[in-house]
Amino acid sequence: MNAPVCAVAKPLPEWRRFRFPQSLYKYAVALATLGFLAWSLDVLRIDVERLPGILGRMFEVLSDRYWPPHVHHVLESAYIDAVIDTFQMSYVATILGLLIAMPLAWFGSFNMTPSRRFLYPAARLIVMACRSIHEMIWIILLVAIIGFGMLPGTLAMTLFCVGFAGKLLAEAVEAIRKGPVEAVRASGANKLQVFVFAVLPQVRVAWTGIAIYTWDVVFRAATVVGFFGAGGMGHFLRESVQRVESQQVAAIVLSIVLIVFVAELLSAWIRNSISRAIG
Amino acid sequence: MPAILEVQDLRVSYTAGREVLKGINFTVDADDFLAIIGPSGSGKSTLIRCVNRLVEPSGGQILFEGRDLLKLGESKMRAERRNIGMIFQEFNLIERLSVIDNVLTGRLGYTGTWRSLFRAFSKDDIRNAVRLLDRVGLIEHLDKRADQLSGGQRQRVGIARALIQNPKMLLVDEPTSSLDPKIAREVMTLIREIAREFNVPVLCNIHDVDLALEFCSRVIGLQEGTKRFDGPPSEIDKHVLADIYSMEVL
Ligand SMILES: Nc1ncnc2c1ncn2[C@@H]1O[C@H](COP(=O)(O)OP(=O)(O)OP(=O)(O)O)[C@@H](O)[C@H]1O
Ligand SMILES: [Mg+2]
Repeated sequence: MNAPVCAVAKPLPEWRRFRFPQSLYKYAVALATLGFLAWSLDVLRIDVERLPGILGRMFEVLSDRYWPPHVHHVLESAYIDAVIDTFQMSYVATILGLLIAMPLAWFGSFNMTPSRRFLYPAARLIVMACRSIHEMIWIILLVAIIGFGMLPGTLAMTLFCVGFAGKLLAEAVEAIRKGPVEAVRASGANKLQVFVFAVLPQVRVAWTGIAIYTWDVVFRAATVVGFFGAGGMGHFLRESVQRVESQQVAAIVLSIVLIVFVAELLSAWIRNSISRAIG
Repeated sequence: MPAILEVQDLRVSYTAGREVLKGINFTVDADDFLAIIGPSGSGKSTLIRCVNRLVEPSGGQILFEGRDLLKLGESKMRAERRNIGMIFQEFNLIERLSVIDNVLTGRLGYTGTWRSLFRAFSKDDIRNAVRLLDRVGLIEHLDKRADQLSGGQRQRVGIARALIQNPKMLLVDEPTSSLDPKIAREVMTLIREIAREFNVPVLCNIHDVDLALEFCSRVIGLQEGTKRFDGPPSEIDKHVLADIYSMEVL
């Protein structure tokens, strides 16, 4: 058998992966990225010769002033109460925030919003406003407005939660299958019924995961809001720092790391077991 | 027989300037099992979805029992949708809900918003759902989650969901394209039986011409958004098919 031959020998186009203008853009973008990185590193003025010295000095400072941590300080009932306060603050803020974020996620999802003209942009704007202001700035603002205590911390965490969860929940809604939505719509259901019957079952697992993840992030933020006067264990950190009680600071920082770590493990474990149970 | 559905000069364009349906006219009589055939992209699904306004037409009239559906506001249209059951190619069940809950979603149009939030369907509705699931042969699967069923079983749930609406007409979009040939015939047979039992006319898209000829009492042929044929299956021959599918007679 001969190798197959085209009946008419027609000139075939030559194929190359990179063609002229596109390849130029690619190299230009790569060059710009690297150049900008070099320029930004230059701003840091890292002194390579002193780098080992810095590490050594850091160790010295830590072992001189911060070691050993005053563990008994974080075992006092006042501090433990503050930990519980922090937990309660994050819990209330997460639930409040989710209650606000869930309808906003419905209104602010492009595929399911009841009104693309009004509710969609309004919901997106609210979520974006909550996101664009950093939680620490919310706290500074709210402490200035309502004064010290748990209230400004809880409110700030609620706003943070609206911004954080609002976006994730809406993205989950935008990823649903459209077919069931049409089927429920075709039966004469109204918009709320369509949401409850065709959308919620599809996002239930994702939304539960997002809710728990949100709590975990809110809790982490809540451990330090006290530093700015908004209640909880962060308050103790500020006092110890101001009194230059470095060994107390060390104990508090270690306790925060440990508690956040445990919270994260807990949240991951709950998320896993829930998605196994109802997935 | 009086016409239950009368479609006049129906036009649809998804993008400005490109009409997908270019003025379609036809009627569905009360005892019709009407098939729409035509090549892929000819506008069959679009046509069916206009009837319950899942797709918004750009012109024409859709008279359902004499009422022009295109003139209705949102809540009146919702009320009309209860009269029109729909069966889908991809079944479109809510996978995480149980079989019976899927069937009960067919009653949402009759159930108040508050009651439906708590899935508090009436006793009659629940009895009816059980009866219909028994009719389509799924009585053992009532409590299973919909995603545990096979394709043929899912389509039966879809049929029960459409029937519980107590519809005056059924819209059916490629009911068998996701099924193997044997199950496809079973599903078509079931649809024909229930259409007679419940006395509802059917408007049905079908890819498979043989199925259309076997099961339907009338056929409409679409090509690129225009109607090329309208008549009983007995009038369909090579030349008609060649015209609809614009291919050479072999
Ligand atoms: N949502 C949409 N937006 C834009 N164009 C669409 C949309 N749905 C369908 N079309 C276009 O309208 C035309 C008709 O599509 P339609 O789905 O009605 O055809 P069909 O006859 O049902 O085809 P098939 O047999 O493949 O299901 C096609 O050209 C398609 O690309
Ligand atoms: Mg189609």
